[in-house]
Amino acid sequence: MLTIGKLLDKSLVICVGAGGVGKTTTAASLALGAAIRKRRAAVITVDPARRLKDALGLDDLTIEPRRVQVNGANFDALALDVKRTFDGVIRRFAPMPAVADRILANRLYQELSNELAGSAEYMAMEKLHEMAETRHYDLIVVDTPPSSHVQDLLAAPNRLTSLLASSAVSLLQAPSTLLSLTDSRLGKLTLSALLKGLQRWTGLDLLRDLSDFAAAFEGMTEGFSTRAAEVDDLLRSPETAFVLVTTLEPHTIDTTIRFHAQLAEGGFRVAGIIANRVVAFPEVGEVQASVEESLRSKLMANYSDLRELSRRDQRALRLLHRQTGCPLLAAVPVNSEGPTSLAALEGFAKQLL
Amino acid sequence: MAEPRLIFVTGKGGVGKTTVAAALGQQSADLGRRTLIVETAADGRLENLFPNRRRAGARHHLGAKLDSIRLDPRELVEDYFSGLLRFSFLSKRLFASNTFNTLTAAAPGITEFLLLDKILGWVEVRGAARRNRYDLVIVDGPASGHALKLLRTPRNLAAMVRSGPLGTTATQLLGLFSDPARTSVVVVSLPEEMSVRETVETYATLEDDLGLHVTRPVVNRVFPKRFSRSDLERVAADPAIHDSPVAVAAHFAAKCRREAERHVGYLRRHLGVTPLLLRQLFRPEITVADLRPFGRSLSRLLLSS
Repeated sequence: MLTIGKLLDKSLVICVGAGGVGKTTTAASLALGAAIRKRRAAVITVDPARRLKDALGLDDLTIEPRRVQVNGANFDALALDVKRTFDGVIRRFAPMPAVADRILANRLYQELSNELAGSAEYMAMEKLHEMAETRHYDLIVVDTPPSSHVQDLLAAPNRLTSLLASSAVSLLQAPSTLLSLTDSRLGKLTLSALLKGLQRWTGLDLLRDLSDFAAAFEGMTEGFSTRAAEVDDLLRSPETAFVLVTTLEPHTIDTTIRFHAQLAEGGFRVAGIIANRVVAFPEVGEVQASVEESLRSKLMANYSDLRELSRRDQRALRLLHRQTGCPLLAAVPVNSEGPTSLAALEGFAKQLL
Repeated sequence: MAEPRLIFVTGKGGVGKTTVAAALGQQSADLGRRTLIVETAADGRLENLFPNRRRAGARHHLGAKLDSIRLDPRELVEDYFSGLLRFSFLSKRLFASNTFNTLTAAAPGITEFLLLDKILGWVEVRGAARRNRYDLVIVDGPASGHALKLLRTPRNLAAMVRSGPLGTTATQLLGLFSDPARTSVVVVSLPEEMSVRETVETYATLEDDLGLHVTRPVVNRVFPKRFSRSDLERVAADPAIHDSPVAVAAHFAAKCRREAERHVGYLRRHLGVTPLLLRQLFRPEITVADLRPFGRSLSRLLLSS
């Protein structure tokens, strides 16, 4: 896969990358790019910046996709609010509203839904699944949360279900289940030491909260497991492509290389890399100018510095290619401000295409 | 003899915390103060700055009077629970268990406390072995979100536990944190919108909620001022160059500078203090030689705030 055009022929594109690289903008632009090519497209964004949210016409109350129009091209956009979506999932899976209420009020749940690594990623995948099942898009583009753990994205559904699988209902009956030990007396001893240790830190009576939490979840675990398997299938489909969005700062490049390794290890298809905010000034020869010498030499010194940054960015691009083996789908030149309007978004999309 | 000091350097990922921590550390060591840089992140940015560092047990010796150590939160937790459990074969099974990992993620404060407990050992002089005594401990990172969690820990812990060794440590930490002569926080930003906004929010939490002493903010990678408006007008008026990459570069430089000034101005207005600026370097990478001028600039942070 070597071009953005080919990328836009897929059914699902997932934009992965460190925080602050322009993922949301890139994802929205890809959806717009597809729309320009007359495909029915949608973008799922997670916690987008205020300005972009405003530009797309999304507000905090939007929980369903919203139509965005840019010069005759239409696509749908949705901004996820992680916490609310997680609560929504609980409500959807709960056998009765009272069960959902109990879970949402449970202290452990509150801690977990804030702390559970991958909850934001899980929620994006949840919403994706729902939209893929119920609506008819040619292409869905997913912007992932600005976390630093791609494995959370991929493992999230499984992590949640394995926690639920070792639920406290079975815990109370045979505490050793927690540690998969055969000697239940030893297990009890270990478990109580563990829980005492944890209790000091949290003030939570974890055993009680966990048993409450797990009891409430009983009957929902199968739903979660099935869903997790379906999302996994979707992510692995040949119609799905992952795109690494990055900028060229050292810190960010490290993260991108790591993400790529995790995706490759998981057997997921990475279509390529989109690099944003690239400094690219070409080599120039001697410059004849009619301005005075002092200004001319300032100009040349400045150019020399920006050439240094350009070379640095080229080295970074080469490093990325070496370490990931991924093609560069687009290198978007730096522009001091991000897109704050639909016109700017269109400009960005055109640069990508 | 002044009491040992503690500095936390925080900010979003990639803003240059390690550079600032290293520059502060080098400056302090140059002034003859025994200094330790505590790394909290897994990446090796500090290694790149001090490629000749020597191993010295669990620490690295970066130079005269300057050491570093990396604290791995996972190791700290495992050590703690290994102590609790007493049977190592159980520990291994436990740490591999998904449930354990999820529960500890849901039990906020453990890793933070263990980190601070270790740091306290280097900052409290009483009873400390000579090799553990430092005049200055600089904590590099973590990034803002985690840093706030870390800095909130003594207060949370003291509220829950009032006695025993835990309670005592919590009280010691509270005392240390609330003394502006001993603990300071340095927040680093880039001259970019999201970065400065986050810095302003972080300040409010650190000062108002947590009662910590925060120095003037540091803004990293600030484009230098190069071209005046009349410079640019003359470039635009010269037919030989006005379309050339050289002219584009000049306008780009001016724009970067204007944007930087705009974001620095945002910080100044919202925080009521003048940020300390570190300029953009135009070199393939930062080296130790770059740290000294940065260190001298940064030393002003601790004199006034």
